[in-house]
Amino acid sequence: MIPRIALLGNPNTGKSTLFNRLCGLRSKTANFPGSTVEHQVGRCVTKSGQEMDLIDLPGIYSLMLEMPESRLCADCLDGRVGDGRPDAALLVLDANNLSRNLQFAASALRRGLPSVVAINMVDLAERRGLIIDERAASQALGVPVVAVSARSGQGIDRLIEQLTRTAMSSATPNPDKAFPTTEPGSTASAVWAADVFAQIAAHPDEKNDDRMTIHDRLDAAFTHPLLGIVFFVLMMSLLFASIYWLAQFPMEAVDGIFGWLGHGVESMMPAGTLRDLTVNGIVGGVSATVVFLPQILLLFFLLALLEDSGYLARAAFAVDRTMRRFGLPGQAFMPLLSSHACALPGIMATRLIPNHRDRLATILVAPFMSCSARVPVYALLTGVLFAGRPLAAGFAFTGCYVLGGVVGLATAALLRKTILRGPSTPMMLELPDYRLPSIRNALTIAMDRGMLFLKNAGSVILSIAIVMWWLSAYPKSPPNPESVAIELRAVEVAQTDPTAAENLRSQAERLNERTQQSGSFAGQLGAIFQPAFAPIGLDRQLTVAVLTSFLAREVFTTTVFVLAGAGSDADGEDQGTLATVRSATRDDGLPLFTMATSASLLIFFVLAMQCLPTLVVVAKETGSWRWPLLQFCYMTFIAYTAAFFAYRLMS
Amino acid sequence: MAQPPIRIPLSQLARGQRATVECSALDSLPNEHRCLLAAMGMGEQCEVRVCRPGTPCIVQIDRTRLGLPHGIADRIMVTPIESTSP
Repeated sequence: MIPRIALLGNPNTGKSTLFNRLCGLRSKTANFPGSTVEHQVGRCVTKSGQEMDLIDLPGIYSLMLEMPESRLCADCLDGRVGDGRPDAALLVLDANNLSRNLQFAASALRRGLPSVVAINMVDLAERRGLIIDERAASQALGVPVVAVSARSGQGIDRLIEQLTRTAMSSATPNPDKAFPTTEPGSTASAVWAADVFAQIAAHPDEKNDDRMTIHDRLDAAFTHPLLGIVFFVLMMSLLFASIYWLAQFPMEAVDGIFGWLGHGVESMMPAGTLRDLTVNGIVGGVSATVVFLPQILLLFFLLALLEDSGYLARAAFAVDRTMRRFGLPGQAFMPLLSSHACALPGIMATRLIPNHRDRLATILVAPFMSCSARVPVYALLTGVLFAGRPLAAGFAFTGCYVLGGVVGLATAALLRKTILRGPSTPMMLELPDYRLPSIRNALTIAMDRGMLFLKNAGSVILSIAIVMWWLSAYPKSPPNPESVAIELRAVEVAQTDPTAAENLRSQAERLNERTQQSGSFAGQLGAIFQPAFAPIGLDRQLTVAVLTSFLAREVFTTTVFVLAGAGSDADGEDQGTLATVRSATRDDGLPLFTMATSASLLIFFVLAMQCLPTLVVVAKETGSWRWPLLQFCYMTFIAYTAAFFAYRLMS
Repeated sequence: MAQPPIRIPLSQLARGQRATVECSALDSLPNEHRCLLAAMGMGEQCEVRVCRPGTPCIVQIDRTRLGLPHGIADRIMVTPIESTSP
């Protein structure tokens, strides 16, 4: 049987870096049944081929704290969760902060599991002149101790060797060792740690220098009420500009690959239901999910770099004051900002927030932030609203972002005063040392988050994408008589004017698509739901467009172009296309887009939860469908009410 | 007769000033905050150095830097240590 080893340690001890060093990409994020606190599970393979499963538990300060992470670690060590007690524990201590870390190690060693202690970051300690005596440390603690540097790889081979030996031999800590029975932080524990520290470390005589260090100056700047915010805005602008700019290339590539794949499948398979399902349902559904992957990978890669550098903890303090006014902690700012790129990584990034209520409130308002999928919709509707007035259109575009942000923060304040009422945990954070971030570590984290996204979102989204495809593809409508006539005309002029023939064929195709749209189950649903959308000015066609955009908001523009007979390949910037959309008519001959309808739709799209993948991820992150359902209801209610008033005012 | 040591809230210390966290210094805090602070290194008799006063109040304990909201720093009583720097 493969031995299971639990990795334990204080936060900022380099535990996860050590885990990544030992397991590489052979790891995955997991949850113990019934727990939302996540941990990593990975496999370490020694040079001799021996395998060990490592469980990277969350970093904690004590096993006795009334916090979910502490309880999870204690339960794991005592075998109350997972597959029973682990075979051994690997305790990771920070060589530069040994006194506090030794107190934690003592409380863990008291549990009696076979253990190995890894004293990490010895390279940094040696630079300060601190020398760790491994032998003395082993004697003092009664378990094997190895000095390592997870970043450079120093001591890793010896650690693996020692870990294998301990896990296989099941040697428990020396029972003669008298560890303090009180918890870390108590006087007895501190005295014991000071005594052990004196035995195992030759430390430099560090003078009590009261002058400001470079660390002090950086901390003062990064957490300054004004300067800190300026730094933060600059840093985030840089981060998101990089994500927008860098992600566009792989996103285009992903889009191209799936387009190529779709065409390939289309040319190989005979026409029919199976081909439609494969091309439009499966390939289209997978593409709709995977296209977000580059943004997610980049976001988590850059966030991991920022976190590793030590900046992120300071930034959280810089924005904490402002966010508290809305009942959110400083750590919520990053996920909310990320949601402007896409709500999915933003919601996944809420894992940085330790308090459950704070995290839930952030998740529930994150979709109010205008994501990149709304951009084509905003571009189309502001273009229709302010034709020939680019400045006004630009203000309206910005206004959409502001409206989403303001309503999101107001909703957060309301949630924290009602259903999520309760004390906010004051932000007491350890500020890690500033250091050069590890690229290797950031890559591992980004890969892990990417895989988690694909696993969590991909499977459900794919199933629902297939259902949505079926709803819009069936029942098949007979060809539109008008399109048949146009096709006949195209055949007639094909010899004399091939371009005109091609245009006629496209026109016929669009007419057929329009007929199919209205005749499909989705179209029929549009007809059924239209009375509900009538008060906000939507006719049957626009109702279909709103309903189909529930899968992904950007689908709205495609549907509108198809309904308006404008083709589906426009990006909202082409004036000719906008003119066609503006001149599109309803079934009763009235204009499809009036000022009132456009304003109402624009507000609806700013505030409504029109994104199925987001709902799926919220369900995964909160561990229940209750929260996404609630979110869908109140966001739709707010959006509908605001759109109703906008429509009435503008009519 | 020796004067009893002056105890002041941590939030009142100036930048660079050092102080000792006395017994019962954290008593006015809720239990969960007290336990967390102790486990983070701010236990009885530990020495703190203020790196940044205000909000957040950043203190250094041994090699650990902790950021605390003003409300918490205001409720931690400490005894200032006379400066030894030239």
